[in-house]
Order: sequence, then structure tokens, then C-alpha cells
Amino acid sequence: MYKAKIKLVYKQVIDASSETSFEKAIIHASYQEFLLKSQAYNAEGKFKTFSRMKANDGRANSLHYKLSFSVLHFIEQLDNKIPVIKDNLGNKLSFDTAAFELIESHIEDSSLHKVAINYQTETLTLIDFMGDYLLLTSADAKSNEPSETFVVKMQPGLSIMNYQEINQFAINNLQLETP
Amino acid sequence: MERKNFLRTFALVAATGPMIIDGCKKDSATKSTTSTTGTTTSTTTSASSGCVVTPTETEGPYPYVGGEATNPLNRVDVTDGQTGVPLSITFLVVNTNDNCNVVSDARVDIWHCNKDGYYSGYANQPGLLGSKSYVGETWLRGYELSDSNGAAKFTTIYPGWYGGRATHIHIEVYVNSVMKKTSQVTFLETISDVVHVSTLYAAHGVNPVRNASDSVFGDSATDLANEIMTLVGSVSAGYAGTYTIGLAL
Repeated sequence: MYKAKIKLVYKQVIDASSETSFEKAIIHASYQEFLLKSQAYNAEGKFKTFSRMKANDGRANSLHYKLSFSVLHFIEQLDNKIPVIKDNLGNKLSFDTAAFELIESHIEDSSLHKVAINYQTETLTLIDFMGDYLLLTSADAKSNEPSETFVVKMQPGLSIMNYQEINQFAINNLQLETP
Repeated sequence: MERKNFLRTFALVAATGPMIIDGCKKDSATKSTTSTTGTTTSTTTSASSGCVVTPTETEGPYPYVGGEATNPLNRVDVTDGQTGVPLSITFLVVNTNDNCNVVSDARVDIWHCNKDGYYSGYANQPGLLGSKSYVGETWLRGYELSDSNGAAKFTTIYPGWYGGRATHIHIEVYVNSVMKKTSQVTFLETISDVVHVSTLYAAHGVNPVRNASDSVFGDSATDLANEIMTLVGSVSAGYAGTYTIGLAL
């Protein structure tokens, strides 16, 4: 019955066209930080874009990490709920970690600043596929108790980042061992 | 938790707001313009019953976690729950091209590892306690603007160390949003060695990488001499450190 232990990841892309106050805060704070921190890899201001900085100096990839500190406090306010994606009942999915990613930026044009937040769920148990839909539970696969399930539709931006097949024989053995 | 409860409460109030406004809406309501201290003008609507609909104003900047107006990383105390020997640092920012006069409003960023040699914000760091991930955490990081005396002060803990590097604190300095200095500062080893065998640091012990043989500090004895923070204090009382950041502006 149980197929695998998985982790889902949802990538929320945020740019100048994004409209929520959360997205605007992320864009504003990370762009201001980009203008400061990118100078470490662009002392003479020769390069206008993040892509050019990376091509010139691979250490510019540190900006993903350096800029993340400017937005962590906004992400904290999400209370570990992914702001966009929901299950089929309209409940927000919980995330375990959120990784900030700088996609592109331009030191003279804030409208080209584009970032993403990759929300990663905790380990979930995939019970079954139903077309585009995943039947999931947060409960441990070896539990004998009826588990609460939820259904999520695969959609753009949502992916499975981690997959470990569950051996049914091993589960049966675990259940037999349970006192 | 208190903040979350506050936010939930706030959300409930916000959700009920429009119903209250609708309930107070009267045909006889009059609209008057009130003066404001800003450049915008707000409107207040009075109802015949005497109650007043609260004027609507912009939400303003997206609030930070504690309702602060500025980034929470703009902070004196960067300790954020990390244990260690207390360390109070005063950086003095001066202009070497202007008779060493102080520079105010310079943004001084600092970050350093904890007593066990790990940084906040990084994933999969090897070290004393095995591989550790501290993504999403900001301890031992922060920035301050230098005051009118050129001073930027921080309260933190004495850094531990990680394999391959001398004990250090990273600094970055911006003046008018322009990066003017990236550097690292270290300490006299006679003090670091005492701290690193004290109770909280003892599991790691003395840093085997000496300043003079460090990959960063060891390339120039002259530079090293100018990269050492002056310390006074003790393990039990904590240390006070001073370091002058000279910028050629």
C-alpha cells in the first residue's frame, strides 16, 4: 500500500510583477541587500547582472546565502505554511525548511530582480498516485493506526525532491515486531 | 508564540473590521477633511450617532517579525541564544584620509562562528559535532551603523573555531551604501587559548591553527598586527574588545 517516503518542494518565484505584501517585502529587502553584498564580487561595478557576476567569479554564488539573511524574518512570519500551494481541501501545506535563491538581478534596474523561495516539506509518506494527484500522510508508514491523509495535485512549481521506496516486506516485519 | 497569538488576534480583528464599518454606515454620515502632519490628507467620516469610522491609512512597510521598523539584523546583541564567554565589541570607524577623523553612519556587518565552530545560515557544515545545518537561523550575525563618535557596538560571544582556520570575526563596512572594506579580525592567541579551554569550549580545546600560519592572517605579519582586536577582561567576567576600522575614504 505504501509506496515511498518523499519530500515535496514548491518553488515560489517572486519578481517585480508579484503582488502580495509578502512578495513585495521579499523583493524589496533582497534587492537592497543585493546592491550591498554584490559589491564583493563586482568592486568596479563592471557587471550589471548577477549572471555576469557569476560568470566572472564563481564566488558570487554566495549571494544566494548572503541575501537569505535579509528575508528570513519575513519567511518566519509564514509560520511554516507555504503561502501559495494548497491541498485539495484548500489547506496550506506545511514546510520544514525554506531555501532562498537569487535567480537574476541587475544593479541598475530593480525590475529585473527575480528570486525564488524553495519550500521543502518534512518527510511524507506517499500512499498512492491517482492520476495527477498524490495521496499522502504525515504519519509514519509503519504505524498500525489509521492515518490522516491529504491529497495534493501535482502542478507547476511543485516537485518531489526526495524519494525512498518503501519495501512492503520490511513494513510487515516492522509491524510484526511492534509489541 | 506571543507574536503569533498577536497576529492571529490581529487577523480576527481585521476580518471583522468591514462588518463594523458597514454597521456604522449611515446615510446622514458627513465627510470631513482633517489636517495631518504629513503631506497626505486623511478623511474622517462622522456618523449621526457620534461614532467615528477610523480613517484608513496605508499599511506601511511589511512589518518585521517583532513589529520592528528596521531589519532585525540591525542589532547590537547578535548572541541570539548562543552560549559562550561574553564579548562586547566596539568598532571605531575612522577615515585615514581625513586625519583619522571618525566616520558616522557607516554600516558595519559582522558574523562569526559559535563556540563549536558552526555558522548560522549554512547547511551541511562538518565539524566538532558532526555535520550540522543551521539554515534559517541568524545567530552571531548583525549590523550596526556607527554613531556620531564613529562607534559601532556589538554584544556577542567569543568565537570558537573550525578546522583549518584561525579564530576570527568577519567584518564588512559600507559607507553611503558603498562597500569600503571586507576583512577579518582575530585575537591574541594567549587569550583565545584560555577561552578555548574554558568550560563551554573545552570539548574543542585550543585551536591548532595559529594566526601566523593561518591562510588568511598568515600572509603578512604587518597585516596580522593590524588585524588583532584589543581585549580586556577574563573568562569569568567576559571580554571587552576594541578595534579601529581604518577606511581610506
